[in-house]
Amino acid sequence: MHPDIEALFDDAESRYLKIEELGILNQYVDSLPERLETYRQLRNREVEIMQPVADELEAALPNVSQDNLERSLKNAILLLRYCAMAMLLNDEAFVRNRLLNWVEKAAQAYNTRPIDSILYPLLERKLGQILTPQQMGFLSPPLTLAKNALLDPASVS
Amino acid sequence: MISITDLLTDNRIPGNYFASDAYVQGDLELGLLENRRGERLLALPEMLLQGIYAGLEKETGQASRLVLYNCGRWWGKNFYARFCEELTDYYQTPMADMPMVEFIQCLEQCWVTHGWGRIKLDHSYQDRGFLVVTITNSPFIKHAPKGDQPVGFLEAGALCSFFSQLTGRELHCVQTTCESMDADSNRFVLGLPKRLEPAETMVTNLDHDAIMQQLCQS
Repeated sequence: MHPDIEALFDDAESRYLKIEELGILNQYVDSLPERLETYRQLRNREVEIMQPVADELEAALPNVSQDNLERSLKNAILLLRYCAMAMLLNDEAFVRNRLLNWVEKAAQAYNTRPIDSILYPLLERKLGQILTPQQMGFLSPPLTLAKNALLDPASVS
Repeated sequence: MISITDLLTDNRIPGNYFASDAYVQGDLELGLLENRRGERLLALPEMLLQGIYAGLEKETGQASRLVLYNCGRWWGKNFYARFCEELTDYYQTPMADMPMVEFIQCLEQCWVTHGWGRIKLDHSYQDRGFLVVTITNSPFIKHAPKGDQPVGFLEAGALCSFFSQLTGRELHCVQTTCESMDADSNRFVLGLPKRLEPAETMVTNLDHDAIMQQLCQS
């Protein structure tokens, strides 16, 4: 859950929420149907999104071993799944706490940046074709965070 | 040709198993903290830890270091078995096939999630037969009675048996720097007992780099 909303529930332990606090909650609840729809799209069309990315990635990097390409693609699938959940919860921290540190280290250890720097723009382009601008707006914050962690770790920490 | 469908075995891609918010769960109604497999976790009161140190010191004096080292060995042995079991279950890969990079990453995350501080492996002396493990913010060292030498006996024992089992060789562990002596971190050196023994006497008067230099020369 978004930290602001979580804090709001904690603060309201022994009192009613203030009007402006209810406003924050309302805003999130209003955005939920569209967030759910975005999640549904990502969930149902995962292969449809990722397969063209895989094909283009292979074509762009013919000399890179299949193992390395597959490792980066698997990471991207995992990241997108986490980003989808973070988007649904409206909580970037979900990606940050659960995954970023993790994929960042793996990316460093296996030196996947040359692959990832081509993969993520391809993925973003594909997502832009499938999602509406509003849906993309919901997904962008966690996705950008994840992408930056892989491509430019200094910018995130 | 890469097929995304083939990459998704059982439609599941394992992630960060020890991520703290996923790993620590509990049945609060029954007063239980649990890990994600339903095994019990507990929060150790600082005062209890201090009490154990004080009690041991009073009852066994100098020998308390050895007692703690041996307790650590017991901990490390069982920790290794459980750690491997959890990883094998979650990643569905036999331990032998798990890449070392991921194994170490899991260990680092596991350490953090249990609140044991931050552990890091330093491989710079690996070709000389030594592994250096660095732990910062150790709760076990923070509450140990201070002295004129490192006091991380619990961890030294635990690391010793953990890495002995991992490598299949009987290793020894000596701590060279200690947070209790105002060092920036706790450094533990692991190696074969014969080669590491001389370090035991060096820790009181030499710094980590000097100890490593001497060890590597011998």
